[in-house]
Amino acid sequence: MTIDRRWFARIGATLFALALLYPFTALFARIGPWQWGADVRGPALSSVRVSLLLTGCAMVIIVAIGTPVAAYVARCRMRERLLWQAVLLVPILLPPLALGILLTLAFGPYGTVGAWLEHFGIVMTNSATAFVATQVYVGMGYYVLGAVAAFDAVPPILQKQAALLGLTPWKVFLRVTLPLSRLGLAVALSIAWVRAIGEFGAVVVTAYYPSGMPVQLWVNLQSFGLPAVMPLLLVFLAVALPLPWLVHVLAQRQRHA
Amino acid sequence: MFWPSANAMLRAQIIKKRRDLDVNVALELEQGCSLGLFGASGAGKSTVLACIAGIEEPDGGYVKLGNLQFFPPSLPLHKRPVGYLTQEPGLFPHLSVRENISFGIPHERSTDNEQIRWIETLRDRLQLGPLWQAPASLISGGQARRVGLARMLARKPPLVLLDEPFAGLDRDLVRELIDALVFWSRTLGFSMIAVDHQAEVLRRLCPQRAVVLEHGAIVQQGAWDDLYAAPATPRLRSLLAPL
Repeated sequence: MTIDRRWFARIGATLFALALLYPFTALFARIGPWQWGADVRGPALSSVRVSLLLTGCAMVIIVAIGTPVAAYVARCRMRERLLWQAVLLVPILLPPLALGILLTLAFGPYGTVGAWLEHFGIVMTNSATAFVATQVYVGMGYYVLGAVAAFDAVPPILQKQAALLGLTPWKVFLRVTLPLSRLGLAVALSIAWVRAIGEFGAVVVTAYYPSGMPVQLWVNLQSFGLPAVMPLLLVFLAVALPLPWLVHVLAQRQRHA
Repeated sequence: MFWPSANAMLRAQIIKKRRDLDVNVALELEQGCSLGLFGASGAGKSTVLACIAGIEEPDGGYVKLGNLQFFPPSLPLHKRPVGYLTQEPGLFPHLSVRENISFGIPHERSTDNEQIRWIETLRDRLQLGPLWQAPASLISGGQARRVGLARMLARKPPLVLLDEPFAGLDRDLVRELIDALVFWSRTLGFSMIAVDHQAEVLRRLCPQRAVVLEHGAIVQQGAWDDLYAAPATPRLRSLLAPL
């Protein structure tokens, strides 16, 4: 590519980025002075804590369950694999609000599983458990599908070579498959994180309390209007962006190592 | 780790139906002997080797090393005392050369003096010293082949399978690697089956015996001199003819 063409491509990419970020110019819209008084700040910071802590818990569950599932799906033959992929796509494809309604009906006090869980003191509506469970349902499909693609990218001959060198399947997974797919797994996890921490439609139905950041944005909008939304929006970007961005920085470093 | 007894003979019949070829080959190999599997490209040589190693599963037949049954039923790869080296040595790109070579050594043996000396011998004979700490992803094809050979031999497997491991390498390096392999096959006593479509290379590597495949079946086997003196098929005569 000549220098002229490279500059042409760079200008095109810059225009694309400007278009993508254009909605954020609304942060400077004339909506009056931003509100960050005690009545806004307290619930806002509480929602940050809720979102970070409970999304973190959801990610741990997603990785613990999703990784072995993805490893299994990656080894399936074509027909079974397509079946699993369809199963994983269902919660992703569903509108979040619809997923929230279904989760509430299935796990709420009137559902069979919900009633059974309540018997053990596990409340599946408006609770931290409901919040985490909803995020797991929302993010799991993204993580597993990404992880399957990451495992697929590991050349099978390397796994077979490792086995012929005496490693059991579990050790092959730990010493070959996992290290070679870790960047793909990290990207899958970052996508699941972004999807889960920003989730509103499903969470607002299943876990209005404890309020995470997206629900608090809605509450602020309803109670105080836009001046109380903008500062929380900035806080949201500041706490939600670093993790997925860091993953991409690491991926970039690895590529150029 | 279980290694078969010193007198482990390989007995195999490989039946494999491929889309373009039906392979049906029976082989026997005494412990410590070598066998060159020769034939044109697409004759089924690599399939036979991959089925013995377990990389591919045969559709029928059997594979047995001493008392250890590889197939049927299919023995898991990690229980097969086999070294397998191909044109693409399949080094682990996230590890250094040293880590690749020590990869198959169980942790409890990695501090064993004899094991350490053996790894050093491999390093020195194959001139891997300068590369020792280099990432495996950054070494050349010829260097990777030497590392693959060292990694395969580090565990001293009783059966070594070589699938065109010297393709694309310069003659000096090929000669050096063949000499090293022949020397170690004598001193360590491993059996060796090698596949190549260059008769010269194969004869030097496995001077004892040749087996010729055409269209998935054996058409001739015996001493190399007999092959050259009376090739069984016109195709074989053409393959053995000088350029």
